[in-house]
Amino acid sequence: MEKRYKSGDYAHVLRLAIILIVAAVLGIFARGMFLPDTMGQYGFYRGSDIEDQRNVTIRNQTNDACFECHRPIRLIHKEGVHKTVSCEFCHGPYADHIKDGKRVGKLPVKKGMEIKDLCLRCHNKVIKARPETSIKVIAMPQHLEEKKVQVTHNCNQCHMVHDPLLWIKAAYEMMGMEMKGDKK
Amino acid sequence: MSVAAHGGAAAAAANYIFPNDLHVHWSLMIVLYPYITGLVAGAFIVSSLYHVFHIKALKPVARFSLLFALAFLICATWPLLNHLGRPERALSMMLTPNPTSAMAGFGYIYSAYFIVLLLEIIFIFRPTVVALRQKATGFMKTVYGILAIGSDNVSAKSLKLDHKIISFLAAIGIPMACLLHGYVGFIFGGIKANPLWATPLMPLIFLLSACVSGIAGIIVTYILLMKISGKEIDVDCVQTLIKFLWGFFILDFVFEMLELFSHFYMANHHWHTLETLYSGPLYNTFWVFQIGIFSVIPFFLLMLMSLIRFKDSLLLFFAPIVSIMILVQVLLMRWNVVVGGQLMSKSERGATTFHPMWLEKEGILPAIIIMIAPVVILWIIGKILPFWMDDEGVEAA
Repeated sequence: MEKRYKSGDYAHVLRLAIILIVAAVLGIFARGMFLPDTMGQYGFYRGSDIEDQRNVTIRNQTNDACFECHRPIRLIHKEGVHKTVSCEFCHGPYADHIKDGKRVGKLPVKKGMEIKDLCLRCHNKVIKARPETSIKVIAMPQHLEEKKVQVTHNCNQCHMVHDPLLWIKAAYEMMGMEMKGDKK
Repeated sequence: MSVAAHGGAAAAAANYIFPNDLHVHWSLMIVLYPYITGLVAGAFIVSSLYHVFHIKALKPVARFSLLFALAFLICATWPLLNHLGRPERALSMMLTPNPTSAMAGFGYIYSAYFIVLLLEIIFIFRPTVVALRQKATGFMKTVYGILAIGSDNVSAKSLKLDHKIISFLAAIGIPMACLLHGYVGFIFGGIKANPLWATPLMPLIFLLSACVSGIAGIIVTYILLMKISGKEIDVDCVQTLIKFLWGFFILDFVFEMLELFSHFYMANHHWHTLETLYSGPLYNTFWVFQIGIFSVIPFFLLMLMSLIRFKDSLLLFFAPIVSIMILVQVLLMRWNVVVGGQLMSKSERGATTFHPMWLEKEGILPAIIIMIAPVVILWIIGKILPFWMDDEGVEAA
């Protein structure tokens, strides 16, 4: 005679089936609970996200916003090879400076060796992202050695940061020399 | 050809990379993700060869490969979660599944496969678990009670039903394992903007390399665990595994080469980019390591081992070596596909570089930890469920 068991022959299968069904029902229930109300209102996203995105405060402005007040720098910046570089790229977002038309803070002006780090963010030879014709990339201190200046020199000792070739061009003019290549 | 020969304009255009292509976003973690899921799918195939196709020689590893698959499946999502900036949002994929998003499919495919694997393990181990439950005390008794779904019934009638369910689960498990890993290949193969990935062969190559890595993983761990525990290794089983490994590897290697050859032969407008990629940044990892060392050598070694009856000691010496080489080959293949595809810029004029760091979030150390984790989990599972059939003298399926 076969041994007597406490559980039925198919008890475990039944229990597993119940567990799976309960898990599925809980899953559907949880979905209903956690699903955002406006999901799928317009498309496959949360409809209220449009409102959320609209309410994100604008922190950045165009260069023209800066030039409204900073007139002297406008004259230099708009003429030089850096004319396409955003003011905020070096000085930080407009919103930290002006809010509702009033000055709320001072934007940082890089000083000393910070300037070198800032310049090398784009002009580093290691970054091979853009062709030579669109950006001058250099290696340090190789560039200083080539130009026969002290290797302790900072970028802004030769380059006016708002128009990097302003002083260089002036120096060439003074010496009656012509610049190599098609540098404007 | 030297770019300088074309003058300054060509030199300026050389290595022109779009700024958004400079950084390799799919890092080491995305290399590990198909690798781990591949091991899962491959190990499951080994188990199915016994449970569905009745390859009797594989009986010693049939149960173990299921637990092996489970241990790795538990960790399959870890690299992905570590890759995400906001991992807690991963569940949104389950909550609001987007039917048109290929990537969102992973949540459901993974979960479905997990359930099937877990159910199969529960049914296969049930008689063993019932027997262990009677001997166990305290906390372990509760664990075995849960694993046995609270039942103590191992009557002939209930085992007969179990057997039917096991066959059914193993049978649907094969297409599901193929779907899981074919899907991972599809994620890459379906990206039409990337000429290295966009090929319908990609799911097939991923699937075959998955089978290959899974079988190799089983061979290595089986021999290693037997050596550690001082048990006798079933040479017939190893020999059969090697034969299957060779069979799958022939297909895998041939399709990998066919894919490359069709790119080469068709030579469409993307080919010059692929060519520079294969002869430049990928030269070492692809030609030297993946093909030269870790494909060609194991290929001939496996051929010899399958065609010539080696002495047992020689077979057991070469089997782990060739399996480890295959495991490295598959890892290299994942690297060359995942990272390689991102090295070329969409400008088709330049390539970026990728050097993983040791300590960064998705660096080498986290990768090693994630690869060790399944082994630790497997060890813990080994404390609860016996790996080998004859451990308690009860036969399940």
